[in-house]
Amino acid sequence: MPELAVEMTVNGRRVARTAEPRQRLIDFLRDDLHLTGTKEGCGAGECGTCSVFVDGVLVKSCLMPVAKAHGARVDTVESLGRNELSVLQKAFHKAGASQCGYCIPGMVMAATAALRANPLAGREEIKERLGGNICRCTGYQKIVDAVEMARDIGRGTLPASALDEVEAQDGRFIGANVRRLDAPSKVSGALKYAGDMTMPDMLHVQVLRSPHAHARIVSLDTSEAEAMPGVEGVITCDDVPGEDGFGVFVNDQPVLARGKVRYVGDAVAAVAAEDHLTARRALDRIKVVYEPLPAVFDPDEALRPGAPVIHDYAPDNITKHIPIRVGDVAQGFAASDLIVEQVYTTQAIEHAYLEPEAGLAYVDHDGVVTIVSPDQNITHHRHMLARILALPINKVRFIMSPVGGGFGGKEDMIYQGMLALLAIKTRRPVRLVFTREESIISTAKRHPSRTSYKMGLTRDGRIQAVEMKMICDGGAYGLSTEGVMRKAAILGAGPYNIPNLKMDTYGVYTNNTPSGAFRSFGALQSQFATESHLDICAEKLGLDPFEIRRINAMRDGAVTHTRQKLRSVSLLAALKAAEQASGWQPGAPVSRGDTREDLAKEGVRPPCSLGTRFEIADTKHSEVA
Amino acid sequence: MLVCDEYLTPASLDAAFASMEARRDRYRLVAGATDTFPWAREGRAGDVAIPTLIDISRIPELTERRIDDRRVRLGAATPMQRFLDDPALVRAMPCMPRCAVWFADDQIRAQATIGGNIVNASPAADGTPPLLAHDAEVELAAWRNGRIVRRRLPLDRFVIGPNKTALEDGEILVAFDCAALPGYGGGFEKVGHRRSLVISLVCLAALVKLDASARRFEDVRLAIAGIGPRPLRLAEAEQRLRGAEVSAARLEEAAALPVDLVASRTRQAYRRDVVRGFVMRGLINALQRAGIAPGALEPDLEAAYA
Repeated sequence: MPELAVEMTVNGRRVARTAEPRQRLIDFLRDDLHLTGTKEGCGAGECGTCSVFVDGVLVKSCLMPVAKAHGARVDTVESLGRNELSVLQKAFHKAGASQCGYCIPGMVMAATAALRANPLAGREEIKERLGGNICRCTGYQKIVDAVEMARDIGRGTLPASALDEVEAQDGRFIGANVRRLDAPSKVSGALKYAGDMTMPDMLHVQVLRSPHAHARIVSLDTSEAEAMPGVEGVITCDDVPGEDGFGVFVNDQPVLARGKVRYVGDAVAAVAAEDHLTARRALDRIKVVYEPLPAVFDPDEALRPGAPVIHDYAPDNITKHIPIRVGDVAQGFAASDLIVEQVYTTQAIEHAYLEPEAGLAYVDHDGVVTIVSPDQNITHHRHMLARILALPINKVRFIMSPVGGGFGGKEDMIYQGMLALLAIKTRRPVRLVFTREESIISTAKRHPSRTSYKMGLTRDGRIQAVEMKMICDGGAYGLSTEGVMRKAAILGAGPYNIPNLKMDTYGVYTNNTPSGAFRSFGALQSQFATESHLDICAEKLGLDPFEIRRINAMRDGAVTHTRQKLRSVSLLAALKAAEQASGWQPGAPVSRGDTREDLAKEGVRPPCSLGTRFEIADTKHSEVA
Repeated sequence: MLVCDEYLTPASLDAAFASMEARRDRYRLVAGATDTFPWAREGRAGDVAIPTLIDISRIPELTERRIDDRRVRLGAATPMQRFLDDPALVRAMPCMPRCAVWFADDQIRAQATIGGNIVNASPAADGTPPLLAHDAEVELAAWRNGRIVRRRLPLDRFVIGPNKTALEDGEILVAFDCAALPGYGGGFEKVGHRRSLVISLVCLAALVKLDASARRFEDVRLAIAGIGPRPLRLAEAEQRLRGAEVSAARLEEAAALPVDLVASRTRQAYRRDVVRGFVMRGLINALQRAGIAPGALEPDLEAAYA
């Protein structure tokens, strides 16, 4: 192995080591020095979770060759608040700025750099200086709040006691801004996510994935990879001892491709080796012969007779169809003064949690197969894995590691099965850490949707009938599609009284990346259609968009189209609050003309700009002049 | 991922050339290296094995800057952050701070170099329009017959197409030599999908010098990237403004001229709108920073392009 001698001072300690020339500074810090507070969220300099100081300057350690840090002073998040959290870390704790926590060490480092550069930085300048760091949980507001809080304590306009825990009022914490118990471990970088964990004798796993959207596996030969020194185990679907197949509603996905691949990124084989590089090189030695099959990428095409069949059990490619019928839509349309038809589409969306998937598995001294991973559904997965491994349930254990953001994207058991098989096969602990690219290519997305909408209303804006047909691209496997279709159908018509409704949601198999759970679980797609449609109807009827919603709003005691009686409905209060908070200018959408009065007022955010630091400099200059 | 057998950090040009000579076709030069690891990933180059990486960012000639009132000699390995924090550079290259503040993010600016930005030769490289506006020349060095041979090229003959430069095999981009423009007002306009870490769809550098009346253009320099295969000077618009009295009508006349230069592969109609708006806003910002006389620009116009 090529070697590179490096010396540096890391968090005040002299370090002299032999590194590899290919290593990045992040690899050296995490793998060699075990400083896992520095996280890898993307490996491409986009997310900022790996930010560290090199000679006092903040850099992204995933972009820096370790050789560049030779002779330098390197300070990681572990250098901050060694005995007591720094003011900034405490402010992150107090403000509730950490949620999943995965971006937080990098965010704390960037905030530290921002306040060092300008201890009086204003809110816009703070945002600007934190621009290289991404967070998916918070929406950034609380992070910026925390930096402002630390700044104000630093300049003496806020007492340090502002960081203390609030006292319970009359023994009650409801309504109080209570500090999160888990925040100190996140702001300090001490919390270990699955990718931060190691075990003695641990092997590194890499996965061979399909380059084809739809292909038959003619042959799969792993012998050359298995013969490589350092490779301790290679698995394919043939290593599954029990009943293969997992999913949330239908167990249609094998642990590793069985007979054919159904999307680009489908897992075909997995390797466990002594080191990451050997595992990666072994993938190149696995010989797979594919016979490409006709593929289908559009759900409407997948529904046509004669379309390629993705799963034998579903010859029509329908994963799930949810029909709901209320009243008689033909009658409702007949009673309408206005009928509006429109088609709405939404696209696939990646969850982009900052923590890419990672897992560690081992077989313990009692023969219990143990999987540690950021898994959003461990109990269900434990049952499925026991069946797949043909083990009694007490021999399968799932441990949920801290989830560095999930949003539904970590509900699927897409890699835990491979880890279990490799741990069993090698009898050693095994760990798999996804790259960002692997996470994007192989894990579930939000369902792309196409909704055909037809609504009939009377002149006064009352909905008479709705006919709604939503077709969703479920991709290659079922995952959560059935549930997403149910939720879309249950919630999609919105909180409105609709006497006659014909609702159909279809989840359809295609050869695209599988779709799955994602915040709001289908309601976003169908409600996007409903709410957009109401705005169009309001315009056609000359009604204020708020008004058309009030006219049709469900009120206390309403019965939904799935016959659920609602004891309390807060829609009217919510509409009122939104109308006031937005400074809404009343009237039909067409009444405004070219100008709008509800923008550029106090409380309305100006568009994003850059260069706040110059404006301050300019002001200073003019003050001097 | 990127795999290499050795990582060299030569301390002089001679040492760099010696390493390159000994490893013909088996090395890659890096400076800031911020684009190197992301390049060797899935979706771009994939797994890449390069026997030797030669890091030229510590060669003194590539990091030094010599600045006087007439010329700027800028080492190619100057990190982008220096355009924000080196007062002599800020004075000599007044639009560069505005370019740098939009460049990647605070962390990457500390490491990424101006030379790297230029040799990548992206059609939308942020660093190219300002340097074009400064009439930059590149200084290239190579090892030929046992000695260092240097040549110079105007920047617009160095960047010749998308990801294409006139750099020859074994040649190193050593420095930029360009006009110092103290007293000019500088503007830099950029549009992308977000504020940080974004590649420009279009970016524009504007430099303006006013005459003693502070109401008349003495000199105007405009350059743009992202509207065609390579960055360009907007010579016609500059010509229309040089020596002219500042007025809304004259600005609008000049801003209409480069619209037809748009030759991008995508979104041409959008880019035409952007070009016109950017020339207007870039000039107005540059005029304000050049100290235009109060009232010489209509307040409505300033507000419209603020």
